[in-house]
Amino acid sequence: MLLNFNEKIVQFMPKFYIGTAGWSYKDWVPNFYPKKQSGGFDWLQFYSHYFNCVEVNSTYYAYLSPRVFESWIRKVEDSDDFIFNVKLNQDFTHKRKYDEQNIKAIRYNLQILKNEERLGGLLIQFPYSFPYNNSATQFISELKDIFQNYNLFVEVRHSSWRNKEAYEFFKKNNLTFCTIDQPQIGQAIPFEPIITNDKAYIRFHGRNEEAWKNSINNFGKKQSYEEQNQRYKYLYLPGELIEIEQVIKSIQSKVKEVHVIMNNHPKGDAVANAFELIHLLEERTKVEMPPTIVKAYKRLGEIAAN
Amino acid sequence: MRTIFHLDLDAFFVEVERILDPSLRGKPVIVGGDPKYGRGVVAACSYEARAFGLHSAMPIRTAYKLCPHGIYIHGSHGEYSRFSKAVKRILEQYAPVVEQASIDEFYMDFTGCRNIYGSLFAFASFLQKEIRQKLSLPCSIGIGSNKTIAKIGSDCMKPCGITYIIPEMGKEFLAPMPVETIPGVGKVMLKDLNSKGIFKIGDITKLPQDYFATAYGKYGIDLYRKACGKGSEYLTVQWEQKSISHERTFADVTSKEFLKEKLFYLTGKVCHELREMDWQVATVSIKLRYSDFKTLTRAKTIKPTDDDEEIFEVAWDMMTKAYTRRIAVRLIGVRLTNFSNCSEQEELFEWTEIKRRRMLKVVNRIRYKYGYDSILIGELKRTGEIDKHPNYFQA
Repeated sequence: MLLNFNEKIVQFMPKFYIGTAGWSYKDWVPNFYPKKQSGGFDWLQFYSHYFNCVEVNSTYYAYLSPRVFESWIRKVEDSDDFIFNVKLNQDFTHKRKYDEQNIKAIRYNLQILKNEERLGGLLIQFPYSFPYNNSATQFISELKDIFQNYNLFVEVRHSSWRNKEAYEFFKKNNLTFCTIDQPQIGQAIPFEPIITNDKAYIRFHGRNEEAWKNSINNFGKKQSYEEQNQRYKYLYLPGELIEIEQVIKSIQSKVKEVHVIMNNHPKGDAVANAFELIHLLEERTKVEMPPTIVKAYKRLGEIAAN
Repeated sequence: MRTIFHLDLDAFFVEVERILDPSLRGKPVIVGGDPKYGRGVVAACSYEARAFGLHSAMPIRTAYKLCPHGIYIHGSHGEYSRFSKAVKRILEQYAPVVEQASIDEFYMDFTGCRNIYGSLFAFASFLQKEIRQKLSLPCSIGIGSNKTIAKIGSDCMKPCGITYIIPEMGKEFLAPMPVETIPGVGKVMLKDLNSKGIFKIGDITKLPQDYFATAYGKYGIDLYRKACGKGSEYLTVQWEQKSISHERTFADVTSKEFLKEKLFYLTGKVCHELREMDWQVATVSIKLRYSDFKTLTRAKTIKPTDDDEEIFEVAWDMMTKAYTRRIAVRLIGVRLTNFSNCSEQEELFEWTEIKRRRMLKVVNRIRYKYGYDSILIGELKRTGEIDKHPNYFQA
């Protein structure tokens, strides 16, 4: 049989949701959001024009009013397939103390998004200090029962979770095992996708090793906003993105949805890298993006549609 | 008859730099040393720079004289190796065997693949497009019945060329080319051949093989074979790491104390890697380069060990014997070869030796956690002085 190399073999491609962790950063002006903004200018509306997904992180710190969620839905009206991935409050994952009231508040908001088909899923992120053991899996099962109507993306950071039993537990409970890319320090979990259901959820925290180490050393001390965010300051290099692309391509036939979230947010690095990943993963030669970002990141000029 | 592809990435370092910064497109770009300090050589230069007579391996100072308005870049080596790996991964999807000859050169064996891929020329063009599209890198491909001819083929139509040398036509293909086209023919060899009236590859094959065997020995026979279009037909695929080495370049030093200190540090680094692999080493080599670029290497085979101190003693001994000229040193290096797996029979060792091995294992664990420089083995015993480094401890 002769293969015809001029015609591309059509391969199964999952749906890609590529976006950033949060959209409301002042330091994204002027690299992403324009400097001169009219009175009615809305950041989320602007953001949703270019991306089809965002991770909501404010829900981790506070219980937001349902009105906030309703206003978000109105703002993304123009983008048909735009979804929100909501991060679960720290009371559940870090303090692990919650009551009926907390559960109700979260369920109510999730349902608002779900009814409008704007909910991707619930991100449950545990800290590094949450290793694999019986009580840990039991705790996750509890959460699974509470939020059983939603897609659950579970992120664990300790490498003790890298074992077959843990993967089996994820598969049995239909949970997505989040893949993370972060500096490789100590027992940190490496970048290696594990597929446990029909979705993949990949978060990029940057590879700023030095700042990451500093932040471990300064844990608990008072720090300014800049200092706190320094560890996420990292712009992925083109070669690193290609490496990432090849890894994601190797698992894409096993899933229906791939969520890619860039958390290296300072100054808009996350936005620039997200555009590059849209180009690589969705195999789009040209990607629509605002002129502000092309001006700030020259190499984007090669793939910008305008 | 075999089918070997040689794929060469055109001006690879420059092309990667252009991906990082697209404003470099269409400009003379030189990757290598810094012309301000006048050190180093050209690692790669763009075709725009080649128009001024630049070529790789040329001293950066000469390059600067020829092309002062060029853009000189130090280079981002981590990115080069990432892109190189990405190319290899793409090639592995199609080729049954891939040999990486260097960071930007690959040999592939497509023998017997004609039924799958059809026309070799069209397939080579497909590979070129694939790498261009996925990685934005241009490359040239040579197709021949052995490695030598494939390599010469990829070289002769750069950039973005494809050359297919019909088997059995190798000799005729090579005949009109200048002798320096043959890989391995350098400046000295070229001068020597020219003095004998040999300018083209065809001139070599007109003479009998014995002539070259007498003139250059084994190398002469090899040269003759290559001129006839023969060469290695099988790819060597490296499965195992064959050596561990580290070297350092200096701004010309003469102090023996300084060299000793650096050699000690380099030995520490290679030994650390050695223990990471759980290996022992039998052959230790050193490299010494004087400021006039004269380079010496010395090697010694010892009882297998993984101990910093033993290896350093051997290395330093060779270094003092090798360093005889009263000229400044530009580079020193340590290299370990001939590995064996660490023996587990600890009863065979003296008690102090067992203790020391355990200590070194702990050192490796500490370094794994906190980085190489977190713990350093001091030289207190030898010099009697207390080093000021806060992380030194006495071994």
